[in-house]
Amino acid sequence: MKLSAEAQNVLEASMRINEIDDKEREDIESLVASMPEDRVLLYKNVVSNPIGDIHRYSIHIRIQHMLTFVTFLTLAFTGLPIAFMDHIWATPINELVGGIDISRVIHRTLAAVMIFSMIYHVVYLFYVVLIKVISGRFELQRSIIPVLKDVRDFKHDMQYFVGMRDQRPEMDKFMYKQKIHYFAAAFGNLVMIISGSSFIFPEFWAAILPSGSASYFQEMMRLSHPHEALLALLVIAFWHWYNVHLAPGRFPMQWTFLTGKITREHQIEEHFMEYLRNLVELPEERNYLRDLLDARELTLEPEEALQVEEGNS
Amino acid sequence: MRKCNLIVILVSLFFMNPVWAFEDDSGCLLCHKYPKMGRINEQGVKRSYQVIPNAFGSTVHRNVPCTDCHDYIKQLPHREIKQGVSCDSECHSIKNPATGKNFSHKSIYDKYKGSVHGRDKIETGLDADKPYCVTCHTNPIYNPNEDKPPKRIVDRCVVCHEDRKFVTNWYKHTSRRIKEVKRTPSEIVQLCSSCHRDKTLIDRHLEAAKKEGRELGSKYAIAVESYDESFHGKVTKYGFTKAANCLDCHAKKDNYYMNVHDIRPSRDPESPVHDNNKLETCRSCHTHADENYVELDPHPTSKKGENPFRYYANLIYGWVGDIVLVLLVGMAMIETFGRRRDGVSFRMRMGSSWWRKSSKSKDRIK
Repeated sequence: MKLSAEAQNVLEASMRINEIDDKEREDIESLVASMPEDRVLLYKNVVSNPIGDIHRYSIHIRIQHMLTFVTFLTLAFTGLPIAFMDHIWATPINELVGGIDISRVIHRTLAAVMIFSMIYHVVYLFYVVLIKVISGRFELQRSIIPVLKDVRDFKHDMQYFVGMRDQRPEMDKFMYKQKIHYFAAAFGNLVMIISGSSFIFPEFWAAILPSGSASYFQEMMRLSHPHEALLALLVIAFWHWYNVHLAPGRFPMQWTFLTGKITREHQIEEHFMEYLRNLVELPEERNYLRDLLDARELTLEPEEALQVEEGNS
Repeated sequence: MRKCNLIVILVSLFFMNPVWAFEDDSGCLLCHKYPKMGRINEQGVKRSYQVIPNAFGSTVHRNVPCTDCHDYIKQLPHREIKQGVSCDSECHSIKNPATGKNFSHKSIYDKYKGSVHGRDKIETGLDADKPYCVTCHTNPIYNPNEDKPPKRIVDRCVVCHEDRKFVTNWYKHTSRRIKEVKRTPSEIVQLCSSCHRDKTLIDRHLEAAKKEGRELGSKYAIAVESYDESFHGKVTKYGFTKAANCLDCHAKKDNYYMNVHDIRPSRDPESPVHDNNKLETCRSCHTHADENYVELDPHPTSKKGENPFRYYANLIYGWVGDIVLVLLVGMAMIETFGRRRDGVSFRMRMGSSWWRKSSKSKDRIK
């Protein structure tokens, strides 16, 4: 396979960071060169373990996800019946959680846990990034920070889905979809914390805001809390759960949030750049892929590779 | 033999004096004990004038003879009644033990008369919309939750006070008043709402005020619906008791039982929601409230005419939410369509999801 310039850069950076010696470098480069030009053939032919093959999320991220989603769902369950109390489902749900005297205690306690989870995440993230920066292993495009390439990836991916392109874009560890979701959740979390605090400490906000703006702020917060909660719940239910539970290839669920591992076919299909790094970092993955390519006769022979190269040029 | 028994029972019934639960010296029950005692009034409303002796005998007014309140009745059968009982009349048979005067609700009645709700018993025009005493107060059961005082308490009291009947009455009187017999916050909201939610009534008053050039409170027209929309309103409706209900802000704080009868409009300097008093009123719950805090609206509304800022913010929020959702779900649909066409199956089978035939690229090697 002839890598694109971007993919080649990722591979080079990864080999540099992992201090790959010449022998290994040759091994990696020959493997990459022998990969079929059509990436579709790669992810269609690999064998994956449904609970995951390749490490993706550390235990901290999994705990943070668990804390956030358990608290979020319970917060929605205890909060929405209050905000939308004139709806038919509100009173039964409120009674189910023990009535207003109980549900408000649950709501506030879990709000504190959710805030803790957010702080845990931010502190953990800072720590990990700091270590990486100091040791020279930090790669911006491997992080969740949106880059211009994401916009292009989004465009190319949509074109692929409607049949205007042959292959999905070479996306990194976090694809455009995950970045949208991450920042939507982070923004929503902040909105919920600030607006929630304006319900529990309205005097505090009135005291620190300039005269005349306190009432507008409070009105905005009164609207934001239920609107944002409902939007988040609907996005989780109709988009996130669809992506991780119902989407083709992910049904009945993606085990990543428990095992921290991603399936091989998923990694190659949606995170090809990360798979290249995996090939650098994991010799056993190289062996697996080489065996697979041989067994399925997918290996690009040197002559074919040459032809491809000539064709490209 | 059975016939004989029946005759004995009938004869003894004939000679038995009826035993009422209260004294009926004036003989009112001669007529008013009958269930059919009543009429249909000029407005077509059925009015029952029946008095059920046992029921009345267990109410708070059980010791007050009928003619103490219905003092205009001088003969039986009486004439048509025009005015009826006014709650400020003095009960001649009951003495107020504190003052020695005849007992009366006059002090609270006078307070009520001076309030924005004050009216006479018979009123016409707009004032007829205002609540009279009986709009809010019935003649409640004396001690509904307790038939007999606890024996251990009465036993102790009779050691000195000797008279068991006196002690029992004393206990009932005191315990009823010590017990919290206030309406719950949600009941208070319900009670106020019964008039303030009535759109035709509110419109009638708005129109009259406009005609007369009188000013009404800015929230007068939307008092109930905006309260319902507030956080106070929502949690109170669910039965939470610590959030502010109508009376917490609209009645003065120093004596609840007196001041709930003295509701005043916000333009009245004595009203707790008058601009000068708002801060103090807020502070009774929100201890750290300051001048800025008073600006927060306890009656929020998203109506365009009342609060355009909130109306448009709400509108934009709604639209943004809908658009985001449609875009995201649309994106997921396109993605599924594209990947299905390329041969992905929903479930992973034997380590791969790509067992189906693709209509656009090469298939998995089988």
